[in-house]
Amino acid sequence: MTTEQYAIEGLKNILYIDLTNQSYYVEERRDLYEKYLGGVGVAINLMLEEYKEGTGPFDPEMPVILSTGPLSGVYPTCTKAVALFRSPHNGELGESYAGGHLAMSMRYSGYETVVIKGVSQYPVYVAIHDDKVTFRDASSIWHLSSAIDVGKILREIEPGAGRRSIIRIGPAGEKGITYADVNVDTYRHFGRLGLGAVFGAKKLKAVLISGNRELKSPEHNAYRKTVSMLYDTIVKTGLTEKYHNLGTSENILVLNELKGLPTRNLQAAYFEGAETISGELFAEKYLLRRVSCAGCPIGCIHVAMLKRAFSKAHEYEALNISYDFELIYALGSNLGVADPEAVLELIDACEKAGVDIISMGVVLAWATEMQQRGKISTNETMGLELSWGNKAAYLRAIDLVVKAPNEFYSALGKGVEYASQKYGGEDFAIRLGGLEIPGYHTGLGNVLGLSVGARHSHLDSAGYSADQKAFNQPISDEQIVDYIIDEEERRNILNCMVSCLFARNVYTYENVILALKAIGIDRTEEELKELGKDIFRKKYELKRKFGFKFEDLKIPKRFFETPSTTGKIDEERVERAIELYRKKRGV
Amino acid sequence: MARRLKVANPARCIGCYSCMMACARTWYDTISLKNSRIDIQTRGGIETPYTQIVCHACIDPPCMRACPLGALTKRKGGGVNLNKEICDGCGNCIEACLMGAIHLDAEKKAVICKHCGVCPKFCPHDVLEMIEVEDSGEVKITDTGPAPETSPVSSTASHKDLYGGKELGEEK
Repeated sequence: MTTEQYAIEGLKNILYIDLTNQSYYVEERRDLYEKYLGGVGVAINLMLEEYKEGTGPFDPEMPVILSTGPLSGVYPTCTKAVALFRSPHNGELGESYAGGHLAMSMRYSGYETVVIKGVSQYPVYVAIHDDKVTFRDASSIWHLSSAIDVGKILREIEPGAGRRSIIRIGPAGEKGITYADVNVDTYRHFGRLGLGAVFGAKKLKAVLISGNRELKSPEHNAYRKTVSMLYDTIVKTGLTEKYHNLGTSENILVLNELKGLPTRNLQAAYFEGAETISGELFAEKYLLRRVSCAGCPIGCIHVAMLKRAFSKAHEYEALNISYDFELIYALGSNLGVADPEAVLELIDACEKAGVDIISMGVVLAWATEMQQRGKISTNETMGLELSWGNKAAYLRAIDLVVKAPNEFYSALGKGVEYASQKYGGEDFAIRLGGLEIPGYHTGLGNVLGLSVGARHSHLDSAGYSADQKAFNQPISDEQIVDYIIDEEERRNILNCMVSCLFARNVYTYENVILALKAIGIDRTEEELKELGKDIFRKKYELKRKFGFKFEDLKIPKRFFETPSTTGKIDEERVERAIELYRKKRGV
Repeated sequence: MARRLKVANPARCIGCYSCMMACARTWYDTISLKNSRIDIQTRGGIETPYTQIVCHACIDPPCMRACPLGALTKRKGGGVNLNKEICDGCGNCIEACLMGAIHLDAEKKAVICKHCGVCPKFCPHDVLEMIEVEDSGEVKITDTGPAPETSPVSSTASHKDLYGGKELGEEK
């Protein structure tokens, strides 16, 4: 395909921001967009270009790359932006996705991809308004106790209401907690793998992007028809119903019934208190409203209202807190918390701090078990007695992890792998590839997917889905491996677009091809699949450069001790499956 | 029968912008939020409810009175019709509309709602509706019979019952 034929506007610029000199420049890279479309495809290639051997996650030259794709801001549910970075949490490939208004704002600003390098001498925030980029001293908002408040302040200062995205860090990012997140428009996040700490190291408090350009499709009538078809598929069929209705938290009861819900640091996979922290209960008692990412008619963001009395004289405060399945697992079942209001309060504390809630939940669960086993005492915890379901202790612990007043809490701020290497308890430090596990204990597919996944996330390949198939009717381990390989590739392609994975069954190969065609981009299914493979290979190339070795992969015993949805998982069986995966993948 | 757009259930808005995209797509052939005749605004980010700015189809439109060139004429069913050829972008109509429902496009022509009915088709939550009105724009009061049920009626609210079937959850 030649440049001339690449007809929809945009998809040519990369905005490079240098925080050290507070300067920026734009490079035209049609070559990248044409070959790799956008999103993770463009970002992974830029990372390979930018990465200099031996550069650490916090080094100034280490870039943060944000990228959107050809379908962003153009088709419904294509609302995600990808962030690539080197993870300070496990030293590996940092890859994370966020929704909110970011993708649409980036697309309409004309900068589908932004590369941020350097380190500022003092806290700054960067504001991008269409093609204008400004740097402002953010010292006065550094040290704010809440990542949420940063948005409130910048909304007043900067123009572009409703057409902008404000991404920012909280105290955890400033302090270098290796699993600090970047809050995106209050309710969405670059959650996993510590992008917030990278922002903190760069002294970058926030990035605001607003865009209000118009795009035109060269095939406008085809475009209109395709939008209508996709919109109807999303809104009027059952394909995205789950996210529309109860949301992801519907899974609490589903996984609990399947005995696949990690509970009390995965000492069990069934939580007797699941009913009271179920999606059904949250919806009936606390759900206040649902909101959308810009350009998505699903509205999966579930916002709860927690009304709290703060005096006996009927005085109340009301907190709005967004909840999802993973959060309820991490701060609910995995901490033995059955009180829904306690779960909401814990979520709120993490949101203000600006930390990845999955990692925080697992860290606290590990610490609780350590204390119960007498491996650490109140000397380490500064008097705190952690116990399952103890909200007050956990609220205090979250605060202490972020403030890091002693060596123990400082270790907790580096994740469960680091802490368990220092204090013991590695066998029940439930992480894979150095990343704390999400809320599934479904069997081989899950453990395999998290082990081999490029970023060790359930979003790499949804291994738990393979387990579900295995649960319903026996399938061979090789089929599970194949499932994971197919899913990885499909997701790599969707992550170039960048569609939300909640709509992955809407954006079938057929529909992706149609959607691209209606904006003047021709691709065949084979070409897309080859792109998915290419991205996979490049991710692994980067992982190798970042030091990842399969030989170093540790799978904690806890996974093999606690029965899963598909029964006890056999260690050798997992090893054989990983070998098979490596053979098939050539990695 | 004349029809006009109405914001029937403002509190149900999830801020998806599908209506704005549909308007710009239909009347400006663009992919954008700009030049949409309907405007979904945030007041305090997405932490607070959305505001829908739409033309109220005034029976006696102040924008029309404010136009020095006569580019705006009364529309059947309320509101105005714009003659783009005549509009010179003076902006008086913008000033006259307290709703803030008018703006200028890149060619300095007024962007004013035609009440065409496209945006409600792309509203997943029945925030927007087309209602029947008298030619004058007055709201029609007819004998409706018994008061309707007010329990959830949105065709999209009951997806689950319609499409059913539990699947093991997929990811967050």
